[in-house]
Amino acid sequence: MVSAEPKPILQVEKLTKHFGGLAAVKDVSFEVRQGQIFGFIGPNGAGKTTLFSLIAGALKPTSGSVHSHGKNIVGMKPFARVKQGIARTHQIVRPFRDMTVLENVQVAVHFGRNSVSSARQARERAMAVLSAVGIDKLANTRAAILSVGQQKRLEIARALATDPHLLLCDEICGGLTHAETDAMLQLLRSIRDKGTTVMYVEHDVKAITAVCDRIMVLNYGQKLAEGTPDHIQNDPAVIEAYLGTSAARSK
Amino acid sequence: MSSSSAAQLHVSRRRDAILPAVLLVVFVVLPLLLSSPNINRLLFVTFLWITTSVAWNILGGFTGQVSFGFAVFYGVGAYTAALIINAGVSPYLAFPAAGASAAIVSLMVSLPTFRLRGPYFAIATIGVSEAVRVVMTNVEFTGGASGYRIVEHVPFRQLEHYYTALALAAIAIAVSAYIAQTKFGYGLKAIRQDEDAASAIGVNPYTYKLRAHAVAGALTGMAGGVFARYAAFIHPQGVFGFQTSVSILLMPVIGGIGTVWGPVIGGGVFGIVEEEIVASFPQIHLLLYGCLLIAIVLFEPGGILGGLRKLAGRIRGKRRT
Repeated sequence: MVSAEPKPILQVEKLTKHFGGLAAVKDVSFEVRQGQIFGFIGPNGAGKTTLFSLIAGALKPTSGSVHSHGKNIVGMKPFARVKQGIARTHQIVRPFRDMTVLENVQVAVHFGRNSVSSARQARERAMAVLSAVGIDKLANTRAAILSVGQQKRLEIARALATDPHLLLCDEICGGLTHAETDAMLQLLRSIRDKGTTVMYVEHDVKAITAVCDRIMVLNYGQKLAEGTPDHIQNDPAVIEAYLGTSAARSK
Repeated sequence: MSSSSAAQLHVSRRRDAILPAVLLVVFVVLPLLLSSPNINRLLFVTFLWITTSVAWNILGGFTGQVSFGFAVFYGVGAYTAALIINAGVSPYLAFPAAGASAAIVSLMVSLPTFRLRGPYFAIATIGVSEAVRVVMTNVEFTGGASGYRIVEHVPFRQLEHYYTALALAAIAIAVSAYIAQTKFGYGLKAIRQDEDAASAIGVNPYTYKLRAHAVAGALTGMAGGVFARYAAFIHPQGVFGFQTSVSILLMPVIGGIGTVWGPVIGGGVFGIVEEEIVASFPQIHLLLYGCLLIAIVLFEPGGILGGLRKLAGRIRGKRRT
């Protein structure tokens, strides 16, 4: 990592979300710095998806704050967050099924952070995004008939087309083969290298540790640990959460 | 996109404009050749149905928000135009005013109802529509249930009405075709397919639905105004009637929902057939519409246009083999 710390792009402070009596996320604080791939992992029910939805704006927190570029975005709807430079992918893909791949991405260019009105210009920029994500050959295919892997790429292309500062990726490798997963992680790295900060949630610990610069571990809605992949893999608390107490002791 | 495919797009767009232009010329010349008042009247009504059908499709087809309440706009437009014409103002100022007042009413309807989604929105529009009808039935200065008469101190010229309706239908189709290929139209289509996904890429579903509703309301209101001037007498059970709402919804479904030309075909077919059906089966014509609606939804959700496209695809496929 660079010694001069890059500035934080997202600051989350004491974020809490209650569903009835249950605290799905409790007092979670962290910072995502520019140019990172920031991952979070945790066992089932740890609150990953809830935390993700709070940052994307699909859910409202019970308390706490989320600052983007120093501006509090709690209460902002997802479409307003897009204008702030925060875009997301969906764990269960949600393409506009009756549109072509190109049209799907074109809409995102029209309505993204630097929104474009001219249809021709929007199509050009959409084509460029499709090439970057590697699905330009499918431009005129209807989104409904793509394979799962292609649809996951379309999700990323559509989110990228809004020209975000911060890209939120929700389990983009779920259901993919090993080769597809590797290609997807390579894509994430290339997105980061082009200057977009990435926040990445995944079930697959291997995928997360392979690609992330920094990782946060959640357990029972609370932050358990945070650090570099090496640090996380050797943290006894993390091992205990994943593998049980005896495994942690034998380490 | 490469420049050659952009050029192709241009050519195909120009080709797409040929048939509508020919049809427009035909309908401009037709009454002069036939000079049949009866056919003129039938076509006049058909043009108005096409206008409302195209208008409904902007909200119901492009945006996916099914409304059972378009009689509100038709009626508001009709009464607005009627009041203005009776005040001695030119009808050609009354029609835009009818559109404007319907658009304003659409915003008033939108604000509460677009808090609801899908079927709940549809049900709410029925409630609003019926409430407006009941209120208009009891408002005294427009004659309440016994209706309202429009008096113009100029001789009646049927062709003037005919061309007004034709122009309005042409405007409605042009607006619809234009919307379909702009940023606005893409936003609407995204909302129809997945409102949350649309929001996640920066589309504000609420304001976009509001705008689509206003455009659709304005066009429908103008159609109501043109109708009121022709009919010279309007009453709440007619222009505000639930049957008017159902007719406006039925036409785009028959023709092909969500397309530019489907609602035009639907409006054309409905306009020409409707009177015959009402005359031949006065007791059960609504039942026939119901059966037709069920048949379309079950067997050909794409309507007439969807069916034709499938047929054309099959013929082309056979020729190739």
